[in-house]
Amino acid sequence: MLKAENAVTIRQYWVTTGIVIALLFLLLGRYFLLQIVNHDRYKTKANNNRIRTKTIPAPRGLILDRNGQIIVDNYPSYVLTATPGEMTDRPKQLALLASVINIDSKILSDNYKKYRRGQFVPARLFRDLSFDQISKVEENKRALSGISYEKHSERFYPGKAKLSHLIGFVKEVDKPIRERLNDPRDYIIGDLIGWSGIEKQFERKLKGTSGIEYLEVDTYGRKVGTFETLENITPTPGENFITTIDLDLQLFLENLMTKKKGAIIVSNALTGEILAAASAPDFPPELFTGVILPDEWNEIMKDPDNPLLNRMVQGLYQPGSITKMITAFALFENPEFDPSRKFNCSGFYQFGDRLFGCWLDSGHGNMDLKEAIEQSCDVYFYKTTQNLEVDHLGKWFRIFGFGEKTNLDFPIELKGLVPTKSYFNNRYGRYGWSKGALLNLAIGQGELLVTPMQIVKYINLLATHGNTPRVHLNRRNIRNLKSDLKLNADIWDYISESMYGVVNSEKGTGKKANIHYDNVQIYGKTGSAENPHGKTHAWFIGYAKNDQKLISVTILLENAGSGGSVAAPLAGKIFKYLFNDTSKKIVIHEN
Amino acid sequence: MKINISPEFNKFPWSYFTLSLVLLLIGMLTLYSISYQEEFSLANSFIKQSIFIIPALFLFVIALFLPRTLIHKYAYIVFIIGIISVIIPYSLPLRAGTHRWISFGLPFAIQPSEFVKIICIVAVARYLSDKKNAQMKSITALIIPFLIMLIPTLIVLKQPDLGTAVVMMIPIIPMLYWAGVRPYHLFLIGAPLISILAAFHPLAFTIWGMVLGIILYLSKPKFLIGAILYFTNIFLGLLSPILWNALAPYQQGRILTLFNPDRDPYGAAYQILQSITAIGSGGMWGKGWIEGTQTHLKFLPVQESDFILSVIGEELGFAMIAFILFIFGALIIKTIKFSISSNDRFSALVLIGIGTIFFSHVFVNTAMTVGLIPVKGLPLPFISAGGSFLLSCFFMIGLVMNFSRDYNA
Repeated sequence: MLKAENAVTIRQYWVTTGIVIALLFLLLGRYFLLQIVNHDRYKTKANNNRIRTKTIPAPRGLILDRNGQIIVDNYPSYVLTATPGEMTDRPKQLALLASVINIDSKILSDNYKKYRRGQFVPARLFRDLSFDQISKVEENKRALSGISYEKHSERFYPGKAKLSHLIGFVKEVDKPIRERLNDPRDYIIGDLIGWSGIEKQFERKLKGTSGIEYLEVDTYGRKVGTFETLENITPTPGENFITTIDLDLQLFLENLMTKKKGAIIVSNALTGEILAAASAPDFPPELFTGVILPDEWNEIMKDPDNPLLNRMVQGLYQPGSITKMITAFALFENPEFDPSRKFNCSGFYQFGDRLFGCWLDSGHGNMDLKEAIEQSCDVYFYKTTQNLEVDHLGKWFRIFGFGEKTNLDFPIELKGLVPTKSYFNNRYGRYGWSKGALLNLAIGQGELLVTPMQIVKYINLLATHGNTPRVHLNRRNIRNLKSDLKLNADIWDYISESMYGVVNSEKGTGKKANIHYDNVQIYGKTGSAENPHGKTHAWFIGYAKNDQKLISVTILLENAGSGGSVAAPLAGKIFKYLFNDTSKKIVIHEN
Repeated sequence: MKINISPEFNKFPWSYFTLSLVLLLIGMLTLYSISYQEEFSLANSFIKQSIFIIPALFLFVIALFLPRTLIHKYAYIVFIIGIISVIIPYSLPLRAGTHRWISFGLPFAIQPSEFVKIICIVAVARYLSDKKNAQMKSITALIIPFLIMLIPTLIVLKQPDLGTAVVMMIPIIPMLYWAGVRPYHLFLIGAPLISILAAFHPLAFTIWGMVLGIILYLSKPKFLIGAILYFTNIFLGLLSPILWNALAPYQQGRILTLFNPDRDPYGAAYQILQSITAIGSGGMWGKGWIEGTQTHLKFLPVQESDFILSVIGEELGFAMIAFILFIFGALIIKTIKFSISSNDRFSALVLIGIGTIFFSHVFVNTAMTVGLIPVKGLPLPFISAGGSFLLSCFFMIGLVMNFSRDYNA
């Protein structure tokens, strides 16, 4: 145990003690030099001169469209600040300030309390100072010691298109926000931070690094000069972010969606780029910059249609008949399945003691698979899927990306729901549900829930026969994540032909999406999804192609009626816009 | 100071404990001054520190009565637990940008590395006390204690926490010296590091080259070994700037960040300048308690911990600084005295190790505050705010008092 004897010699003791004493005297000497010998120098320095650091915010990166048009810009704004430790008589000074710049002194004192974070750190009092107000502050500088103003930049949206759900918005970092950040040292209070959409997703790129200016100021807080022994740190501006969006097409889409509710997304199926996307109703992008009036704000917050909801990735909907192609793929998996075999549709189908209706009450008559897709016959799918299992169909929904995030460049995205056997068992009990659930799934109804963005991925897969990159918004996206779906080419052709029929055949439900251009082929599928919230949701998905382009369109209109009559005509307008005029061409191949 | 509770109690050197209480008192007065204008909450460093005093004294009592045989017996097992405790923070989310803390859902988090410092010393003391002085001549006897120290040091360095890592490593030198290692061997171990650092400054490198040569010559090794030692060091030094330049700027940046994790947005030069101005303006007697707040000192980001001496220097002047250094001197020299007069090797080594921890904290902090050495985030024992550190300091005081008694059991 502790038997080993202590063998330290007196010499070792003196060496160690000697080093300790010597070093302590070295320290003492240094303090003596500073505090006694050079005391006067530092005393003067402390009394007369003050060094102040000023953060120079880095300009945030701009957000541009694919052709370089500016979507989000910065503009300078002047912010009034107060440094508590430099103010001589706070209540009096704030009152004077209020009268000088002609605003309510309560606003100033409230903000002072809100933003105060230290004796010698400027607290912001008021933003968006006018030049007139700045000059008034300058005139009264002597009485307003401790009061200053700083240049900040704010977000500014120069275009007519709103893109509010795509670009998202920024917030000003305040105390509670800063405390919740992973690394609070990266931000100071008053900095802008991306809070949703692209602004949030690409925050690291857009933010930049702020710089520091060292100022020497006199007792009144007036700048005497820059501080020569310390070198200023220049800010590094944030990087610009180039989106895949085409601003003109975006504006066109947003106009189409005026007074409507839903989502509409146009994508280049060959590259996975989102060319334009709108969720309606939306909100003015300036909503969060503080420029907006309280009334307008209240109106948006109280709107029952929830304009702040990004329907593209956060809205969950029954897809309805647009998923019938997936059901068809599931059918094709059975080698004995014969697509040309006809089934009779009398307008309804009896399963046990329940009647499952077709949307066409009078019935479609004899149908094969192609006709059933063209005319969106429900009974055909009820009859053919009888031998399928819920999980079998579910597997195919998942193959096309349902029930998982698209990982589009958005910070928040919902997954939707592909119900499984165990889901039904958990929810309704082992015997609480029947195969009727399967019949609902076969026509895209029931518990199945998707986001419009998942549908974009699905239509892009259909358009490219299973060979489309991930949907994305970042033009500089070099990660070419192809989702390569290897399926029998004959089946793909059969499905494409059917979708061509939807738009081009006599009885096709999507006829109104047709634009009858010679060298443009249009494919599509309509859907009218029944839902618990009133009229059916109108869906149209489709793509148009010519020699160069392959562009998909996904349209969802909430509670608007049938897909063929409401959504398909919008698709037609978009296809016309995209293909009628060579001047409006969207460059899709160059990279 | 005599407390007549029992004869057992009076065996402890209570004057040693008094020294730590004096320092704690000065610290609390300073923290009160710093947080004078702040509201009454847990963010207030004075309140926070007050709350930690009770558990600190509790740990002190535990350390005081912990049987020494038990500490000796379980030194290695506790060492392994210590290593695990500094690894755990890596599996937790970042706290203030580092992996230093373990949170228990309380408003405070614990920094295990503060305790691992002590654990390392005990483990090394155990290893060295199992060897005789004569055995210390072999090179393996040197390498194992280094490894014991190096493993937790590297983990802590990566957290990143350079300050604690440095303090963790320093005690090995006096402990080895105390254990009978030749100073010449200790010099040889440190030499390559100095060679690498000196190589970035031509004059420093020239002087170092000469010093190295003289020391090698005076210690009279075999000619071949001496030459190899000399040229290996010089070669290492010449190589390092070349290797450094071969690194991409971002890689250099990563290394610099590793060695300077406290790079704060205001810049270290600015902190030092503010600190020196504040201290210098304090003069002999200072501007008075709480009076110093009118200066720009409040710009200092860590005045309640790393830069607390700037506040003291400004408000209470050179007189108080000298007094504090005197108390620390007394505390450290007393520890060394306990070490040499202790009658077993294990106790002597633990004591010199703890003495070194105290001293390196005092030296690094005091020197940094006045710009003698680069800014390293390292608190001043008993004075700076910081819960885990206060706990570990009083634990060490308890251990020293415990180990200072003659062991007769």
